[in-house]
Amino acid sequence: MNIGFSAPWALLLGFAALIPLLGRGQPAILYSSISILPSDPLSTLLDRVLRFGAAAAALCLSLGIAGPYLSERWVERIGTGAHIVLLLDRSSSMNEDFSGQYLGGRAQETKGAVARKLLAEFVTRREHDLFAMIDFSAAPIYVMPFTQDKQAVLAAIEATSGRGHGATNIAPALAMALDFYSGKPFSGSRIILLVSDGAAQIEEETRDQLRQWFQETQATLYWIYLRNPRSGRLSEKPANPNESTTPEYLLHEYFQSLGVPYRAFEADNPDALQHAIAEVERLENLPLHYLEKLPRQDVSNYCYGAALAFLALLLGAKFLEVKSWPA
Amino acid sequence: MFLRDWRAAALLVAAVLAVLTFADPKLSLPLRVYRYAFVVDITQSMNARDYHIDNMPADRLNFVKESIRQAVHALPCGSEVALGLFTTRSVQLLFEPIEVCEHLPVIDDVLAHIDWRMAWAANSFIEQGVYAAIRDIKKRDPGVRLAFFTDGQEAPPQTIRPIFFEKPGEIAGLIVGVGGLHPITVPKYDRENRLVGYWENTDIAQIPESTTAYQTTETAPRPSHGGYYLSWLDENHLRELSATTGLRYHRLETPRALVDALRAPEFAERRTSRTDIRWLLGLAALLLFASVYLVAGDESSKRV
Repeated sequence: MNIGFSAPWALLLGFAALIPLLGRGQPAILYSSISILPSDPLSTLLDRVLRFGAAAAALCLSLGIAGPYLSERWVERIGTGAHIVLLLDRSSSMNEDFSGQYLGGRAQETKGAVARKLLAEFVTRREHDLFAMIDFSAAPIYVMPFTQDKQAVLAAIEATSGRGHGATNIAPALAMALDFYSGKPFSGSRIILLVSDGAAQIEEETRDQLRQWFQETQATLYWIYLRNPRSGRLSEKPANPNESTTPEYLLHEYFQSLGVPYRAFEADNPDALQHAIAEVERLENLPLHYLEKLPRQDVSNYCYGAALAFLALLLGAKFLEVKSWPA
Repeated sequence: MFLRDWRAAALLVAAVLAVLTFADPKLSLPLRVYRYAFVVDITQSMNARDYHIDNMPADRLNFVKESIRQAVHALPCGSEVALGLFTTRSVQLLFEPIEVCEHLPVIDDVLAHIDWRMAWAANSFIEQGVYAAIRDIKKRDPGVRLAFFTDGQEAPPQTIRPIFFEKPGEIAGLIVGVGGLHPITVPKYDRENRLVGYWENTDIAQIPESTTAYQTTETAPRPSHGGYYLSWLDENHLRELSATTGLRYHRLETPRALVDALRAPEFAERRTSRTDIRWLLGLAALLLFASVYLVAGDESSKRV
């Protein structure tokens, strides 16, 4: 537990505690001959108590002004959850709606817009998960490291409302996603959530490399395939599968051969997409070590409280004070 | 007795002030914050190494990244930043503006990972990029300032120029010129970031891009054929762009100067923040308390 001060300079005010030890807080009373007064241990004690009480009041006030707080802390907890890499297709085809018609980048129901909205809800609901994010088109773009900073992840998802650009190149994006897990301890499930409208090919040599990495990291792959009616279904083997006409089917076949848990969710309309995300959510609840951030906690109230108590003591003494002394 | 005895009165007031701190009083204070979208050119000319400052990277891109990092750290809490990339003719935002103090670790991390290999194409049509950035910000939130970092070199050189459709100055901010004024070679790296040579003129496509909505300028800048492709900070072009768009021009020389340019009052946004003023009450209480001991005023001590 770390204590910090929001205004450490105010600690210097603590020297004010010396004032009551040196000076006195009662008016002097004239007395004809002080030397004939006997020394009184009780009075001396009382004097000391009052002086120290006053010093303590000054100290507490200065402490309060300095604004002490317990620094924010991370507490390790165990819950259920996952390390999820969001792998978002940002190629230009994501600007289309589900029927395959091009809409402007800001249109409500583009595939991208629907995916964005549902992903944002998903991220918000998954309380303990750590999210990372990669955008990809021709090249992968590192957007977010694994973080519990939900607001930042949401800001990154929201930022994808801009127009997408370029071709779909899925292999380097998957490699980057897998790299996020390297050197990380196994805790919770590892999920790569690929949101893409397909139409991607992977070269032969890259395929083997990726397969090996998938097996090393033991990451689960979920592919949310935003299908438009013109493209093929993943479940139906096309009559004549080849790279140029049915790339998504071949990709699906390849993913099935990875040797890690894999599921594809076809979403050809907003409802199906919602369903697919709900399904992912249901599947992924393994024990996860996660850190919870306890926010900075202000404790200056305690200082002011203590100061108040000492001030009250002094005030009480003031009431009992002798104002004059009959000669 | 409080009327007769000022010391008792002072103590009483001090105690009341201490009580008042529990009401958690707040004061609305004006606060200057900034909201920036930093857009970084990640085309390969940004790999040219023409910065020579101690403890700073030599290549343009990393110099920009380090400068932005320092700028983000120098912005007051409550300020927000977004990061974006530019290549070809378009801009891609990585995340929308987020608050700089709370999200500093994430911002630092993402900034550190910006890499020329994220480019989705290799050309750079800077003029179109700046316009695209302005359009993008206008759509999202016109209050956000743009800081566009580029060396200003159109590659391949453009014969026709896009038209700026927006209102100049509608989106405020800076065009930040990156690089040196002397032409230097541009290193060519492979995907593993190994140096494989330098860009040559013959590597750069000569066909100008064309779409609708273009106006033609008289002379096409003709690059000399053969030899290394040279890159320098094309300030004339950026100043022209600055005049068209109403963005200010700033040449990136040191992170310090960049911070000053970013913190110009014209780019600030006034917000009121609810500030904790318990310390003021505490200080007043402490002063009253000290006066009890320090001020000699023994008017009440009369011999009866």
